[in-house]
Amino acid sequence: MTARSLESGAPARERAASPSLWARIWQNDAPGYLFLLPWLIGFFGLTIGPIISSLYLSFTDFDLLTDPNWVGASNYVRMFTNDPKFLASMRVTMVFVIFSVPLKLAFALAVAMLLNRGMRGLPLYRALFYLPSLLGASVAIAILWRQIFAREGLVNDFLSIFGIVGPSWISTPQYSLWTIIILAVWQFGSPMIIFLAGLRQIPQDMYEAASLDGASKWRQFVKITLPLLTPVVFFNAIIQTIEAFKSFTPAFIISGGTGNPINSTLFYTLYLYQEAFGFFRMGYASALAWVLLALVGLFTAFSFLTSKYWVHYDD
Amino acid sequence: MTTRIDRRQFLMGTSALVAAGAAGVMPAWAQGADLRLIFWGGQARADRTYGVTDLYTAANGGAVEGEFLAWNDYWPKLATQTAGGNAPDIIQMDYRYIVEYAKRNAIAPLDEFVGGVLKLDDFDADQLEGGKVDGKLYGISLGANSVATLVNTTAFEEAGVEAPTNAWTYDDLMTMGEAFNSANIRGGMKAISDSSYNEPSLDNWLRQRGKALYTADGKLGFEEQDAVEWYQLWAKLREAGVCVSPDDQALDTGPLESTMLVQGKAALMPSNSNQLVGYQALVQDKLNMVGYPRIAAGVGGGHYRKPSMFFSVGGSSANKEAATNFVSYFVNDVEAGKILGVERGIPCSAAVRDAVSPTLDEANQIALNFVANLGDLLGPLPPPPPAAAGEVDLSLIRTLGQEVGFGAKTPEQAGKDLVTGAAEILSRA
Repeated sequence: MTARSLESGAPARERAASPSLWARIWQNDAPGYLFLLPWLIGFFGLTIGPIISSLYLSFTDFDLLTDPNWVGASNYVRMFTNDPKFLASMRVTMVFVIFSVPLKLAFALAVAMLLNRGMRGLPLYRALFYLPSLLGASVAIAILWRQIFAREGLVNDFLSIFGIVGPSWISTPQYSLWTIIILAVWQFGSPMIIFLAGLRQIPQDMYEAASLDGASKWRQFVKITLPLLTPVVFFNAIIQTIEAFKSFTPAFIISGGTGNPINSTLFYTLYLYQEAFGFFRMGYASALAWVLLALVGLFTAFSFLTSKYWVHYDD
Repeated sequence: MTTRIDRRQFLMGTSALVAAGAAGVMPAWAQGADLRLIFWGGQARADRTYGVTDLYTAANGGAVEGEFLAWNDYWPKLATQTAGGNAPDIIQMDYRYIVEYAKRNAIAPLDEFVGGVLKLDDFDADQLEGGKVDGKLYGISLGANSVATLVNTTAFEEAGVEAPTNAWTYDDLMTMGEAFNSANIRGGMKAISDSSYNEPSLDNWLRQRGKALYTADGKLGFEEQDAVEWYQLWAKLREAGVCVSPDDQALDTGPLESTMLVQGKAALMPSNSNQLVGYQALVQDKLNMVGYPRIAAGVGGGHYRKPSMFFSVGGSSANKEAATNFVSYFVNDVEAGKILGVERGIPCSAAVRDAVSPTLDEANQIALNFVANLGDLLGPLPPPPPAAAGEVDLSLIRTLGQEVGFGAKTPEQAGKDLVTGAAEILSRA
């Protein structure tokens, strides 16, 4: 709002060159800023401030208890040259992002399409399917997950019907990360709601025309639904990727904060937390956080750059 | 906790009245000095602790505002408060962290108060020594304890296997484990949890070999060969099915409820003497405790009477003398001692110990007798571990034990990685 009023009003004000320029800006915009003030204080004090100080701390050996000493780029150098746990945790997070995001989006889209067929009681189903997203990041669900995927858990009870004796999924290194990926996919609610809204935007007459031309349901999906939905897919992909990179609670609860078994659930964020609050290496942890930020930024920038090749904004 | 604070505030009001009435006979520092206390533990510990703070306030005036958290949440919170210059006056401190906090002046030396408000006349000498860093007294031990193997005696009876005594060895463990397997009770209960990545078990085993986890100057106190043999020993026990499978053991993430003993998967488990009370509350079976296994018959010296935890005074506290007075009351007052029992370990004051022991229930009695009768199991108190010990434990000892368990590494490889990895962490910190 502010930016626009400045742009459009600027030439006129220059010509006027009146001493009342600032007074007018003050008059026009002050109430707006005044209303924004609580948010601005929070934003600068609680978000921007800590972010900048963490950038500074990432170049220090800050340990929470004594004053930080400047150590140059050595935290970053160590990370990339001499820290196997950095690489291991990065690998875990990458696997998590690469598998959980597409699976979750596919699942969300599938459910959204089911719900989009104008069924009875839609609001109820919508709420029910959204429920896991509200609960998913909570401690209770992570604990429940431990029970479901334990040796005597629900999953193995189910498998035993078919005579399969399953392992303790949650505590076997090959499978433990997958239980957390499934947990993430199960929280498909918020992309589903957005997909549902996107599907409602697609004009019905396109489908009618396509049916008349004899296009199959699958062809309609590929040629109409998907292309017209790409802005929504794009939005969901970005949001969910960022969320996935930041994922922390499930791994923290399920592994008791250790990232075990054998570091198979040592998410990047969990490693960061261990360094910060377990071993008090705040400087190093800040550097880890900035690398994560840079990585998420890169991913997002890459998505935006490639988006013009596959996202259709013909409105 | 919220209700607690409300009650505190109410108490503060009433205690202010008491204090006002008694102000004439009280030293200046005690008047209206509100102290903040932070500790880790569960509800049972909190109830006992608050019982004593109430008693203290009634006797001395000056409210003590308490706050408690679980172990895992405690250290981040304390570190954050300390960094913010907002540390409480009285801080529950662990042997693992005392050096780190003392070296950074986050806790205060108390030597100036000894003989004054801090009375230590009948205090155990070894427990006093345990609270010193570089010759200065930084922590007052709240009780002595020792590592101990918890024994599910009911399960042993069921399996028809003779339960271990303090004389038992790792060879006995092997025999017991095989007997347990042939008895096959409760769907394949094993003799013991996988202790290969239990830090105190490794420490105890090393001490029996005349080595230690860490030396006094904070270096590694053992060689690669020791570590390899340790992993080989447990590989053998694992192969014979004496200990639980690695994927079961990995379900133990720390809380008492998730341990193999409480889950009913193992009849023996390494733990600490003061924790019997906590575990007994969670299982129906009758628990007992014995020492850790000996490396060979008659070899001792692995155990030591460890200060289970300390009270320290915050380095930035404005009421150091009042805080120290509270700490002195906490460890010396007989009535306070009766409320506290041995939940934090065996009281260090002889007078308190004598007054408390007749009042104890069975589980507490077992713990008291065990620590009092360690005999030749007892060795000298090792120096406080170096600051990075926690990281060595979490990043190496636990992970490497698992890697051997799951077959991702050989005992030889794990032994090598433990020694090189630990040396690297210790030199970095």
